[in-house]
Amino acid sequence: MTRVNPELAKELEKFGAKSATVCFNCGNCTAVCPLSNNSTPFPRRIIRYLQLGLEERLLGRMEPWLCYYCGECSQTCPRQADPGELMMATRRYLTTRYDWTGLSKRLYTSKVWEVFCVGILFFATLAVIYLFHGPIVTDHTKLETFAPADIVHPTGYVFGAVLAFFLLSNVYRMHKFIMRSGERVNAPLSLYFSELGTLAVHFATQAKLRLCTNKSFWIKHWLLMSGYTAAFILVNVDLVTRWSLTDSPPPAWHPAKILWTYATIAMLYATTVAIIGRLRKREPIHKYSHSTDWMFLILLWFTVFTGLLVRIFMQFDLPLPTYYTFAVHLALAVPLLGLEVPFTKWSHLAYRPFALYFERVRERALQLQQPPQEEEA
Amino acid sequence: MPEGYDALVVGGGIAGMEASLTLGDAGFDVLLVEKEPSIGGHMIQLSKVFPTTDCAGCITTPKMAATGKHPKIKLLTYSEVEGIEKTGKKFRVRILKKPRYVDENACIGCGRCEQACPVLIPKEWEYGLIGRKAAYIPFEMATPKKALIDLDNCIMCGRCERACPKEAINFLQEPEEIEVEVKAVIIATGYNLFSPEKKKEYGYTGNLTVIHTSANPNIIHGMQMERLLAPSRPYHALVRPGDGKVPERVAWVLCTGSRDKSVGNPLCSRVCCMYSIKQALLYSSAVPFGEAAIYYMDIRAFGKGFEEFYNMVRELGVEFIKGKVAKIESRNGNPVIIAENTETGEIMEEEYDMVVLAIGLLSNPEAVKALGVELDQYGFVAQPQENSNPAVTDKEGIFVAGTATCPKDIPDTVAEASAAAAQCIAYLEEVGS
Repeated sequence: MTRVNPELAKELEKFGAKSATVCFNCGNCTAVCPLSNNSTPFPRRIIRYLQLGLEERLLGRMEPWLCYYCGECSQTCPRQADPGELMMATRRYLTTRYDWTGLSKRLYTSKVWEVFCVGILFFATLAVIYLFHGPIVTDHTKLETFAPADIVHPTGYVFGAVLAFFLLSNVYRMHKFIMRSGERVNAPLSLYFSELGTLAVHFATQAKLRLCTNKSFWIKHWLLMSGYTAAFILVNVDLVTRWSLTDSPPPAWHPAKILWTYATIAMLYATTVAIIGRLRKREPIHKYSHSTDWMFLILLWFTVFTGLLVRIFMQFDLPLPTYYTFAVHLALAVPLLGLEVPFTKWSHLAYRPFALYFERVRERALQLQQPPQEEEA
Repeated sequence: MPEGYDALVVGGGIAGMEASLTLGDAGFDVLLVEKEPSIGGHMIQLSKVFPTTDCAGCITTPKMAATGKHPKIKLLTYSEVEGIEKTGKKFRVRILKKPRYVDENACIGCGRCEQACPVLIPKEWEYGLIGRKAAYIPFEMATPKKALIDLDNCIMCGRCERACPKEAINFLQEPEEIEVEVKAVIIATGYNLFSPEKKKEYGYTGNLTVIHTSANPNIIHGMQMERLLAPSRPYHALVRPGDGKVPERVAWVLCTGSRDKSVGNPLCSRVCCMYSIKQALLYSSAVPFGEAAIYYMDIRAFGKGFEEFYNMVRELGVEFIKGKVAKIESRNGNPVIIAENTETGEIMEEEYDMVVLAIGLLSNPEAVKALGVELDQYGFVAQPQENSNPAVTDKEGIFVAGTATCPKDIPDTVAEASAAAAQCIAYLEEVGS
């Protein structure tokens, strides 16, 4: 039995899906999409679910995560129903449904909540730094003395563990939705291990996006993703090796430093281009900006920029600017990571590859279930 | 004192001819102004009409002849209305007669100039499927059957001048301003075809009347298919323009430029479903073992006998696939259609020998600009009393008929033309002389 939620399309409007009812189901979007194929056809199927209010089926579909919003469907839609934006809004909606805390929904549907939460974390971080920072040395830049590693690193561990907990518990709920939808699947545990490659490959290469006609999207997106991943790894490595948070920073040719430079340039370039694009609104992907899109870009841009400033100030041995900028850098990074990664836009970093991974596991499990039926026939 | 007429009919297509004939038969003096060198409009170019599959030319040609020879109808071809002014009960109309560079009274339509002319360019009347000369007669059944010289493409060699037995060629002809006085006007300016190159995804890179520059000349538009199927067709055989092969698999792409906001036209063109079904039927009889497929969003078979016609063609084996064609690519010179079959949810990629883009009907606002009547948001002539007085415009004494008000089929157009003429007669009786 299928339960229908007649309010589904209306609910999605809050996430930016304003034109789902305009669609007359001609199928242009699905055929024009370079990523859509016969085993996972979209966007029309998803739009149909919105129109019919098939909430449970929508929750179990991973197609929204396959769409990278190249915008060809929106450009050619005869009804100007903006299928690309409908897919984007569905991703926002799904993010709130995967999240069990309810915070995600508040962040997506209320600008007040969004600004309030970012503000709280920003000022709380500044307060913590104000209360717990080490001695301020002014004749030389001694960042480690200002921000003692034995405080910063444990805090980082706890913060990271909390984020991972929220994100992974949401991924688990996503898994439940996908496995429960349609034909019932009991996937053996071994499949989850043997298909881990899918997860890794899609996370690292974003190969699906390369199928889009406009290749520049893939390059920009990959720069951003790889820059972020590099920064993430370096921060973690730093927790062990303590190579950056030190009073005597390593020389410029240090491999870790080269990687940092790459991460900074890649992220700064990609976010700047995205901000300009969203202001110009020329490409379909940049035509509609949800408040969370802006928040994400602004936080990320300033985080990277202040990080760069810290390095420059350290290089020129300017103690006070270094400490202040570092404090602001942390105060921006905390809401960026704390809100964007598990609850809003950045969670797609996990959902996209996991969607492909779960779908693959599901597909293989269905294949394993099938042979006995064939013998009967 | 300018020449006076009872009524001016603007446009010499089927609507304009029908209105003129009705008025003329009722004893009124009519001036028919046509911007092309011949009357006949789009209908004379068509193959057959739906759903009766009567020969379009066999209906239009007698009308053209009757219009041309009617004692009460004066023809002014290759002319355009420049301006109109109402003084009292009458309209003073300025008409520009473009130079044909051929003396119309002297020309006997023998076609010697055409034979002598060395210039060859795409023939607009055949939508670029074949060529014409710079000195030419528009088409076989042209009314009036008089030559004209296309000075833009003429190389001034003078061969036509020497070939003409009546010394009718006159390169010194000037545009002529004519002023007339009429009591009423009927607008029958018709429609413009959608230019298929505007729908970039469909790979048609020529333009409406030029196909040889197209990246894939086996992607043609509906009017070109009409010409290929017409009894007076250009190759005297049904072959595809790319290489002359008899197309064994043909697909029709409905709603090319209609019901499509991405190209700026949300309106249904009302005829493409039926003309495509008719073309598929005619194709099936021309190539008995050929496969025909029609890609549609909805089949709008709303008129008398349309649904029956559609069902008959479907039962004859023409394939109907529900789904808007997203793009047309090329493989080995063959067009490849990419669409979602929305009945099965399957994404299809099908190769055909030839694809026909069923282009729609757009408004023709330039043609009515000089008349100053109110247009609707799509550029069609507005009908303030659409339900009670459909032929009435916002200007008293100016009536409208046919596709100038919205896309419509031939029976509706002819009926409207008669209606407009009848309302015009009532108006003329009222204003008196």
